[in-house]
Amino acid sequence: MVDDDRTQAAAPGRAGLILDGIIKKFAGRTVCDVPHLELGAYGVEGLVGPNGAGKTTLTKLITGALALDEGVIVHNGPSGPVQISGLPTHQIAQQGVVKSNQVIQDFESLTIRDSLLLAVTTSDAERFYRLFGKAGPTQQQADEIDWYLDYFELSDPDRHALSGGEKKLLDIIRCLLVKPRFLLLDEPTAGLPQAETEKVARLVAEKAAAGEMSVLIIEHDLELMWSLCEYVHFLAEGRVLLQGPPEQIRNDPTVVEKYLGAGHA
Amino acid sequence: MSYTGFAITEILIFAALGVLLHLQFGRTGIVNFGVVGFVGVGMYGFGIFTTTLGLSFWLALLLATVATAVVAMLVGWAIAGLDGDSTLVATLAFATIVFNLAITEKWLTGGVSGLGGLPYPVDAGGSSGVYLLAIIAVVVVVFVGYALRLGRVSYGRLLASIRDNELLARSLGKSTTRQKLIFFVVTSTAMGLIGAFYASVNQFLVPNMLGPQLTFTVWIAVILGGRTKAFGPILGVLVSVALFDLVIEPYLPVPAALAPVFPDLKLMLYGLVLVLVILFKPLGLLGGRKEARA
Repeated sequence: MVDDDRTQAAAPGRAGLILDGIIKKFAGRTVCDVPHLELGAYGVEGLVGPNGAGKTTLTKLITGALALDEGVIVHNGPSGPVQISGLPTHQIAQQGVVKSNQVIQDFESLTIRDSLLLAVTTSDAERFYRLFGKAGPTQQQADEIDWYLDYFELSDPDRHALSGGEKKLLDIIRCLLVKPRFLLLDEPTAGLPQAETEKVARLVAEKAAAGEMSVLIIEHDLELMWSLCEYVHFLAEGRVLLQGPPEQIRNDPTVVEKYLGAGHA
Repeated sequence: MSYTGFAITEILIFAALGVLLHLQFGRTGIVNFGVVGFVGVGMYGFGIFTTTLGLSFWLALLLATVATAVVAMLVGWAIAGLDGDSTLVATLAFATIVFNLAITEKWLTGGVSGLGGLPYPVDAGGSSGVYLLAIIAVVVVVFVGYALRLGRVSYGRLLASIRDNELLARSLGKSTTRQKLIFFVVTSTAMGLIGAFYASVNQFLVPNMLGPQLTFTVWIAVILGGRTKAFGPILGVLVSVALFDLVIEPYLPVPAALAPVFPDLKLMLYGLVLVLVILFKPLGLLGGRKEARA
């Protein structure tokens, strides 16, 4: 059960996502049971928990990749609160709630540059009769992509992504190019080289600090989590058991017992 | 019109349909196995508007295309959200319905006895067909130009993303279902336009023209030439329909006894070439090697 004492959040900001009465069952088994959860009050938050705790399921429920059995999810967007549960995935993304993928996802036939251009292009440019003029990217969009290519030192962007690490990185860059209000990163470091991981972490932290977006990270690299996150939610067996600043979570007996294992810390 | 002139016109018709199927399947991943259904609506629409209602060539062409657009919207709405296999079955079923309606609705289509006396765009006596050939050639050039241009603009990129990974495109805020529906309706409507021209080429309509052979022939051309290339279907038509109708049929001495089974031989030969291409060049003659890793 949620312990009120320990989950009390001295929220510095307005929560970006508010989840209420979330229930998700697979074949009768409850995999997600979250009566109330506020995400994104801090700039960078973490979601930790053992395998099978329902972390990815929870994020898929948020982005609409999975349908809720019960519950309501509200996003506090720039123009006020919007209920995003029940909306199709692309509309949730248009509301500014975007998720990177745990398993590598890629557009096989698009070059690195094209797959990034896809992310910045607005639907107004994507009409079957637009063959000239507006059909191409604006200078601003092209510059933005060049900035990312430069920052991540992606040389020769007119080729296809080759390694898994490169595809993973492109997935994250595409999410950033959509300019999310709320970004969910599902195991961003899995398959990503150390140097890139640090660059992603630094960039995400900067954008969160600048108030451009809130970030929720799922990650097993706990050292990264403790150093990057301002607030951590601990999930086990589909429930949020604990919330608090990283130093509190990493030393909590429940977390040590259920996740870190005896002998840790 | 001479045999050669007629054969060339027909080759252009298949080339145009091939480019349209390239747009649907090769670029967007829509498995439309009901090509002949849309062609048929355009064909019979044109036939009914010109003969029964006595409208002029161009007005009938326009109305037949509009009629196909309405039908394409209904079919598109029905298949929106279906996966590839279900789309294949649904569109094939649609084409079968069109075929059967052409037989049963005698009051409208003339049933098996068909509709005759369709007009040419320009009445120039013996050379009327040549004008029609030229017009269709222009249409083919426009279609190929569109397909080529699509490879360089945002919309083409969007279609490629839908074909490659629709869920990922959706997660980036792209309304993939709606975009696929719009593109399907536009390209299927263009198939109706080609159907209306094809009606004029034939001058006479019978339900047998709406059999699945037409769909298969277009598919074979697209797969042969390379489904992802704008010129793929053109090459595909050249090595299937054109090879057969312009070279084998006129110049190869075929025993008279084989004449009745000639159309079947043609399809068998296409099938053989298709098997060879799939074995040795899975992405078609123009298809690159890169994507073979998929």
